[in-house]
Amino acid sequence: MSDFMQWVTHGIKRGRFDVNPRMALHLFALVVVLTFVAALYLVLVSRTAACGRHIEQLQAELFRLQRENEQLEVDIAREGSISRLWKRALELGFAPAEWVEFLLPAAGEP
Amino acid sequence: MAEGPRRRLRLLVTLLIGILLVIVAQLAQVQIVNHRFYKEWGEWQSVRTIVMAEPPRGAIRDRDGYLLAGNAVLYSIEAAPSLVDVETAAAALGSLLHVPAAHVETLLDSEASWVSIASPVSKEVGEQIADLRLRGITVLPLWAREYPEGVLASHVIGFCNVEGKCFYGVEGFHDALLRPERVEWEGPVDPASEQIPWAVVPVVLPQPGTDLVLTLDRTVQALVEKELARSVQEYQAEGGTIIVMDPRTFEILALASLPDYDPGRYTDFFSQNPLPFEDPAVSQQYEPGSVFKVLTVAAALDAGLVTPETIYYDSGWIEVGGQMIQNASHAAYGERTVADVLIESLNVGAAWLSTQMGPDVFYRYVRAFGIGRPTGVDLAGEISGQLWLPDDYEHWHDSNLGTNAFGQGVAVTPLQMIAAVATVANDGARLRPRIVAQRVEPDGTVSTLQPVVEAQVISPQTARTLTEVMVRVVEEGVAQARVEGYRVAGKTGTAQIPIPGGYDKEGTIASFVGFGPVPDPQLIILVKLDRPKTSSWASQTAAPAFRRLAARLFVVLGIPPDGVAVAEAAR
Repeated sequence: MSDFMQWVTHGIKRGRFDVNPRMALHLFALVVVLTFVAALYLVLVSRTAACGRHIEQLQAELFRLQRENEQLEVDIAREGSISRLWKRALELGFAPAEWVEFLLPAAGEP
Repeated sequence: MAEGPRRRLRLLVTLLIGILLVIVAQLAQVQIVNHRFYKEWGEWQSVRTIVMAEPPRGAIRDRDGYLLAGNAVLYSIEAAPSLVDVETAAAALGSLLHVPAAHVETLLDSEASWVSIASPVSKEVGEQIADLRLRGITVLPLWAREYPEGVLASHVIGFCNVEGKCFYGVEGFHDALLRPERVEWEGPVDPASEQIPWAVVPVVLPQPGTDLVLTLDRTVQALVEKELARSVQEYQAEGGTIIVMDPRTFEILALASLPDYDPGRYTDFFSQNPLPFEDPAVSQQYEPGSVFKVLTVAAALDAGLVTPETIYYDSGWIEVGGQMIQNASHAAYGERTVADVLIESLNVGAAWLSTQMGPDVFYRYVRAFGIGRPTGVDLAGEISGQLWLPDDYEHWHDSNLGTNAFGQGVAVTPLQMIAAVATVANDGARLRPRIVAQRVEPDGTVSTLQPVVEAQVISPQTARTLTEVMVRVVEEGVAQARVEGYRVAGKTGTAQIPIPGGYDKEGTIASFVGFGPVPDPQLIILVKLDRPKTSSWASQTAAPAFRRLAARLFVVLGIPPDGVAVAEAAR
């Protein structure tokens, strides 16, 4: 014991401490309940945080897929644009129809 | 207990109580006295407005679902300098962004809590940077409006700038519908401004914008643009407009004007004077000239004043309100019928009809045809045109009654003019022209927009009578507009261009409005060419353009020639 503590406790007599069993039980029960509540709170908070994080990840994934989808749609539309189709058709040897003749099926044919 | 130890114990207890009181006082100061200050300070440090990633703007499609305006992905690279390993980040970012690492280092060497490194960057580069997972570097997705068809239908679509503000056409008119929902809330963030998921974040996701399906047919639009470009070049015009509508529903199938622009590269066109962004079809007016005679004759027929066979005497001039009105040829035609007013495009006959009607009747019909007011089409920037009425003492003059009858002294937009003539093709019922056919909500709900009848301007009988006269205009008057195999009705207009103090002697505006096949018109076309140089006459410029385009569109839209149609009906 340090000199300071000896100075502080000098002359203090160790007293008898009577333990009341009922009070001890209540105290123990209180500690158990408080521990349980604290544990429950911690579990709840951590689960909420984990759930929030999961939702956030799902949302991020949703937005990522949404962006991919939009980009793909634009890319497909660009590949199938009128000007590109026109150019490709001409490259493949097609030409605008100069004269179109309408034919009627003979009577009785479907 | 001896007095000494007791005193020391008392002293110790007093000391402890004193310390406790100081702590309690400090706590009280923090928690109670300065509660608001510390609360706000804490929130300032950790609570931010968190904006949920923005969903895409609504798409614009043609009537067959082809994408005309969509969304591409870009990224913005941002940083919290206090958290960044400057050397590593500068080397990596410099290499991917193709800028010197020293430049990035300069940006990161900042006292600011947040700096922008580069924006916008391409999707590929943005994703490569995101994959590096650099501490303190944030890669934010951005949307960029994309127009996969390039210049096609640029005036109809309009454009959006880099800030997401949209102008002109459908983009401008329906901006509120197309714009996505924005969801934001106050929440805790970490030092890199990343959200801390202490609480469950809002699960209501922001909704994308509403998709719009247009009445436009991209194939028809492409053919119209090709014909317009050809006509402008062939007739050496300064510009022009072609509109194609279905007269049964007033749906706009194609609308093209030159000069045009690429909405995806609109900044390239800022150097042009005038800017090409305004749609001449709805935002610019012109004096229509003789096409307007269709409305004058319609009014006279419907008012019961005349029939197509009614004879009048054309002396070559008529005086209205003190102004001498002559035919375009300055010739006198003698006895002529009302039908001849259209077939031979006689100004004197038209002025005679309007004076016979009087201003009340004449202007009542002109207003009913939609002249002098916006058509209500869902395109941004539509103007009213210019029609002075007799009660406007400042502008209207008695002579207006005569000149307005043949389309002078009155200004219309191309869309007003085609809508007025489409009224004749549609048995006298004027509908509201429209460009949007359907709205597709984010949840997939489709609402189909129905035609809106504005007015029954003339009786169906008058409309059919007038249509037959207009067929004669093409068959007997303007051979250049005849379409082989189809009966078409139409009218030319060669209009002078008003300038301060009179009319320009140099140029004209040549136009032709025609529809067919008669008697069941499925197509109406307006061709307008500005200041053609090869000929000032519409019959030599706008009419042949109409013929070429109508012949092509009848085939593309599967409208059989008259002979086949009659045979089909007989089966």
